[in-house]
Order: sequence, then structure tokens, then C-alpha cells
Amino acid sequence: MSVAAHGGAAAAAANYIFPNDLHVHWSLMIVLYPYITGLVAGAFIVSSLYHVFHIKALKPVARFSLLFALAFLICATWPLLNHLGRPERALSMMLTPNPTSAMAGFGYIYSAYFIVLLLEIIFIFRPTVVALRQKATGFMKTVYGILAIGSDNVSAKSLKLDHKIISFLAAIGIPMACLLHGYVGFIFGGIKANPLWATPLMPLIFLLSACVSGIAGIIVTYILLMKISGKEIDVDCVQTLIKFLWGFFILDFVFEMLELFSHFYMANHHWHTLETLYSGPLYNTFWVFQIGIFSVIPFFLLMLMSLIRFKDSLLLFFAPIVSIMILVQVLLMRWNVVVGGQLMSKSERGATTFHPMWLEKEGILPAIIIMIAPVVILWIIGKILPFWMDDEGVEAA
Amino acid sequence: MIDIKMEIQKDRRAFIKNVLSGTIAGSLLMVIPAGAALDERLPEQIPGMRGDDSTFTEKKFAFVVDVTACIGCGSCCVADKNEYNVPDGNYRTWVERYIIDDHDEVFVDSPNGGLDGYTKPRTDIPYPVRDTFFVPKLCNMCEKPSCVQVCPVGATYRTEDGFILIDKNRCVGCGYCIQACPYSVRFLNPVSRTAEKCTWCYHRVREGLLPACVNVCPVHARKFGDLNDKKSEVYKILREPHVISVLKPSMGNRPALHYLGLRREVV
Amino acid sequence: MEKRYKSGDYAHVLRLAIILIVAAVLGIFARGMFLPDTMGQYGFYRGSDIEDQRNVTIRNQTNDACFECHRPIRLIHKEGVHKTVSCEFCHGPYADHIKDGKRVGKLPVKKGMEIKDLCLRCHNKVIKARPETSIKVIAMPQHLEEKKVQVTHNCNQCHMVHDPLLWIKAAYEMMGMEMKGDKK
Repeated sequence: MSVAAHGGAAAAAANYIFPNDLHVHWSLMIVLYPYITGLVAGAFIVSSLYHVFHIKALKPVARFSLLFALAFLICATWPLLNHLGRPERALSMMLTPNPTSAMAGFGYIYSAYFIVLLLEIIFIFRPTVVALRQKATGFMKTVYGILAIGSDNVSAKSLKLDHKIISFLAAIGIPMACLLHGYVGFIFGGIKANPLWATPLMPLIFLLSACVSGIAGIIVTYILLMKISGKEIDVDCVQTLIKFLWGFFILDFVFEMLELFSHFYMANHHWHTLETLYSGPLYNTFWVFQIGIFSVIPFFLLMLMSLIRFKDSLLLFFAPIVSIMILVQVLLMRWNVVVGGQLMSKSERGATTFHPMWLEKEGILPAIIIMIAPVVILWIIGKILPFWMDDEGVEAA
Repeated sequence: MIDIKMEIQKDRRAFIKNVLSGTIAGSLLMVIPAGAALDERLPEQIPGMRGDDSTFTEKKFAFVVDVTACIGCGSCCVADKNEYNVPDGNYRTWVERYIIDDHDEVFVDSPNGGLDGYTKPRTDIPYPVRDTFFVPKLCNMCEKPSCVQVCPVGATYRTEDGFILIDKNRCVGCGYCIQACPYSVRFLNPVSRTAEKCTWCYHRVREGLLPACVNVCPVHARKFGDLNDKKSEVYKILREPHVISVLKPSMGNRPALHYLGLRREVV
Repeated sequence: MEKRYKSGDYAHVLRLAIILIVAAVLGIFARGMFLPDTMGQYGFYRGSDIEDQRNVTIRNQTNDACFECHRPIRLIHKEGVHKTVSCEFCHGPYADHIKDGKRVGKLPVKKGMEIKDLCLRCHNKVIKARPETSIKVIAMPQHLEEKKVQVTHNCNQCHMVHDPLLWIKAAYEMMGMEMKGDKK
């Protein structure tokens, strides 16, 4: 780079950022928001692979992944509300959604998706809930009564209709999950002022990384919950999930690299800004961690696990490790896109720095709380609805 | 009335002493002229604005910054901060200093947005300086504003006479407009927790006053006027063959803020 | 043999449909209730905000506003080379001084080296402010040495801040000399 050629002092002097660009406005909360919605979309895809595409091997996790999606979906708005300057006006997004704004659709897309997910859970679990209601007493009886929509009818006729509705909801759920997350990608991809974000590939990358993180999240929690409860793990199911994880990750990783490579190859004036970013403030989080450690290693591990038939114990040892690495990769990718994009000043002449604090409003501690919340919610849901098929009183359709 | 010049000629020392001790000023401590409101007593800076009560004016406003005239004194920044009580560390307008050395290396800085002026030379320029100049920045008042496009709740909008304004009673403080603005003129006001930016002093313009920064500029580097008025200075400048450009034209935002004598190094 | 149920076969679907419809109707009703009155009057924004924007307080005034009262200084300031310098740049905004025609506060008068700092914001040669034609720039302390005065001198000891050349011109006149360039 020409600046570097003149020595460190000149390079430092050339670091001019616009006075209003010193502050990174979208920080940890906005890193978590696409991460959480990504987990939701990905988990829903896992469920749909069974319910719509009839991948029978995924049956053990088909129901669980819906509940997993619900737990995270409930928390998806929390980081946003914590981030807003005036959270008390948040409903204005529903009241007066600006038709030209990429962000305004979130309220409606989120609500619609929430309704679809909730309905699908209600219908899928209805026979189970009806059975549980008969056994339950007191408060829980009321809860099950509400979840069963006050009906005790599990006749073949009513279950047949339920089944049709489930198929329909799962079918429209796929495009909606894609819309929800592709749309989150577009929130960034549509910002022409930011060369790191402004790419038509952004929604696609977000969507693929969403699928990847969702599948990885399901693998980790499935194995973990089975180990805790001492139940037998369905190796075939894990093996299939790993294969899907590898498939989606190939696409995800290729598109991530393709996007970067296009910028590098076309080398327009934006690349010079991006180049300083990738070689400077993002060097560690992008090249070393996101690419070097958490993409390349899982990529080859997944390839081996998919192509070679591992011993069961070996598969179950590596599956959670590789899944956790993928979860970290996606989180790093969100960080590098959301925070990284804002590090470059629009002056095209320099970058600011960003270090999250522990205790500030949008700091690390609130981020941890928001990430723990869905796990707690999932645990509460687990007290009400059974995660696994074999716990059911009544076999589902 | 005391004839100052006579006073001074009579005895300069005594006069200064009097002024400093406040006796002359004190004796003249005037009654503030009453009667008509201030804006009716004083001359109109923008013709035809006073008494115009229509929601939108029939004017087409333009802002011209003469880069070749700016001396980087920061009067505009001071006036702007005073006009709006802008919180420290945020800038509705700022002045950048560009230094280009004879190796084509560009050095830009804007300490505290130019609010404290430029009192120190840069000492870190490795080669002889070829050119140096100041560039004042403010809202570009785009014809196709990205901020208005992305605002999720319609809190920022473009008036029919070309002002981009922010409804601070509706802004949710999401910061999307801050991300979308190619010129980084927006910030989140830490007090109101809503987005804020330069308005070209809409409230002043509607009263016939020039924007605060234009009004204070001692070298007339900032010019503001109506392009529909063929007698206005901005109309004449844009009509004549000057080197005129806008910032980041490739963004396609079509700013109404024009720069006279803009060099290509300016972003 | 079919078991008998209390609820109908499709009761739950019907109930869910009713819940969704009621929620939607309530939503539409709530939207109508909370929508700002003037939303969409002129475009996709609250129309009455135009009025709010017009009512923002004007805090800076023009020099003419200051000259309404400060008459002696007006005569100097308006005639001198500093006529384009804003009163409020050195003294602060009008609104901190006068509100609704009444004096509400005293604006500061810069003293001592504050004056020098203010002068050097513009007249500082080392900054290399490009248009040297529009203002006179000097280097410190070379300027003081050149003029053969003590280097500890403040600017306003020779230059009347409101018209920097006033006393200089007067001195030249007294001595019967002509000024270089005879700047007005």
C-alpha cells in the first residue's frame, strides 16, 4: 500500500475518520440480533427437512428443533429493544412502517413468522398436549388446556386436518424462515454507503450462515441433552445432521470467500478501504479466527465425518466439537460484518477502533444475559412440552 | 450620541480607559428597542421569506461552499454549536483540513471538528507541501436521501422545498440512518437519544435569516440561497463556469450542497 | 370403535382462526388509535412536525441585532476590516443575552491572552490557510519582532479588536504618513 510505503508515521497520519464516525453505533446487540434470528431460521430448516422433505433420519430432532427455534425467536427482539435509543417507541415500526425502509418490515415479518411457528408447534403437539392434559392437575391443566385450544378431540378426522395444516405451515415456514433471515442480511446489504455491507450476496451469506448455525445449534443441544438425561443418542440422526451441516457450510464458506475475492479482484476504490480494514483492525477476528481456525478446521473435519464412516463414539466426540466451532464461526462472521463494517470511516481514509465493555448498556454482560435467556426459556418449555418423541403419551401422526 | 471617532481623536488613552472601565458603555447601557419583534425590525437576509406562512416555500434552496475561500477559523462550528447546544463530540457541521504533499500523499484532520479552530500546524508531513485547504462539511440535503429511504418509522423526511428534517418526537433511535448516510453527518444525540443532523437552520431560513454558519462566516465561504431567484448569489455561481462538484457523486444521492473549487482528493 | 369427545373435530381450528381474526381486528383498531393525526398529510411523516421545526428557538442573531443597542461599537465594527466578523463568534449567542426583548444574561468579553488565541484562529501564518488574499496572516512572534514591540505584547495593545487598523491608521495619520496599500 502506498501509505505504508511512507512509513508508520505517515500511515498513522493518513488515518482520518469523520468526526461522527468515531463511535460504533451498532455494537454487540446488533451482532446478536442476526445471530439469534439465524439460529431460529436454521433450526426451523432442520424441522422442515423432516416435516416437508421427509428426511426420516431427522425424526428425533424434528420436534425439538421447533421448540429450539421458538425459544430463540422469543428473544430475537431483546437485543434490538436494548439497542434502541427510544425503546418505548419500538411499536412505531408496526404503526408506521416506512415502505422504503429495509428495517421497517421486521415487525411484520417477525410477527408473521412467530405466528406460523407457534401454530405449527400447537398443531404438532396437540395430541401430546391433549394426553398430558388428562394426566395433569391444577395450574398445568390450565396451561395444557390453553395449548390444546380447549379441545380434547384427537379423532382420526381431526388429526387428518391437523396433519394437512402442519404440512402447509411447514411449507410456508421455509420461505418465511428464508425471508426472515435473508431480509436481515438485506438490512446490511442494502446500505450503499458501507462498502463492506453493500453486496447482493449479503442476504445469501446471512441465510446460509443461518442454516449452518441452526443445524450446529441443534447438534450441540441434542447431544448435550441426551447425555444429561442419559438417553441413547440416535447416531444416524447426528450423522445426517453432520452431512447437512457440511453441505450448507460448503455453500456458506464459498460465498463468504467469493464475496471477498470479488472485491479483491475488481479492486475498485472501495477495495483500498476494505484492504486496510482486513489487514488492520479485522486481521485477528477475520483471518486468524473466523477463517483460519473456525472455518478451515471445521470444514475439513466435517468433510472427513461426512465421507468416512467414523466409529460411533468418535462421531459423537467430534460432532459437538465441530458444531461449537461452527457456532463460533458464525458469531465471528456476524461480528466482522456488523462491527467491522462500521470500523471503516466513510471518509475512506481510516478506521476507528471498538472494544466492548462489560457493564455498559450494550456491553458484554447484557449480551451474555440475552444469550442465556433462550436457554432458560427452552428449559421452561421443556417442562411443559416433551422434546423427544418417545416421551409422548400418544404417538403423533 | 457620542461620536466615537471624535472621542478617540480627542484622547485615545482616556477613551480606551473609559471603554474598559465601562463608563461609556455603562452610560449608554441602552434600553432595548421595543415595539416590533426583532425579526421585523431587522433586514431580511433571504428575500421573500418573511410572512410566508405556507407549509412549503416555492423556493429551491442550495448551499454552496467555496473551498478556495475557507480559512478554517471554525466560526461556523462555534455558531452551530451555540445555535443547537450540540453535545460535545458530535458535529452537525465540521471543517476538515487537507494537506497534500508533493508525493501525492493526502493528510486530512479535523481536531474536535474544527470547533477550536486550527491553531497548530501539522508537523508530521514527510515531504514538502504542495497544497493545503479547508473543507467545511454539513448536511448534503440530498434529492435522493438515503437516510429518508431507510428510516423505519418515517421520522426523517424530505420537505417539498428540499430540507431533510428529523421528527425528534418519532425517532426511535435505531441508528439506521446514521449507517445509511454516505456523508456521516448524522449522530445519535446522547441526551434525546434520537438521531440529529444539520438542518441548514430550517427554523432560521423560514424567518428570513441565513443559516447560522453562513451568517458568521467572515470570508463568505458558505453561501446559501434560492436557485429560483435569478438574482441570488448561488444561482449566479451555479450558472457560471466554475469548478463545481458535489461530494461522492457516485452514491447517486444528488446533494443540494455544492462545492466550489473542490479537489478530487476530498471525500 | 370411535371414542366420544366433548369438543368437535374442528373446534380447535375454528377457535384459532377466531383468535387470529380478533387479534388482527384489534391490531387495526389500535393502529388507527395510535397513528399520529397528521401522519401522511404531506408524505410519509408527521405533517405537524414542519410546524415544530419552524418553532425551534433561534439562538444566534445577526450583527445588526447586536448593533440595535450597542451603538458605539457598531460605528467602529461596521466600518472596519472586521465588519464580516460575527459579534457572536467572540461574545456568544444572542439568546444567552436577550430573551423576549429582555436582558437575561451577560455575554463574556474576552480578556488577556484569550484575545490573542481568538485572533490567531484566523491570522495564523503557520496554518497555511490558503487564501492569503482575503485575510492578513502573520507568524508569531516574528510579527512582534518585525514591528519592534515586546514579544509579550497582546494583539489588542496595537489593534482595536473591532477594527484592527483603526489605531494603526490613526497613528499613520498623526504622523502624516501613508499606509502601504492603503487598505480601507
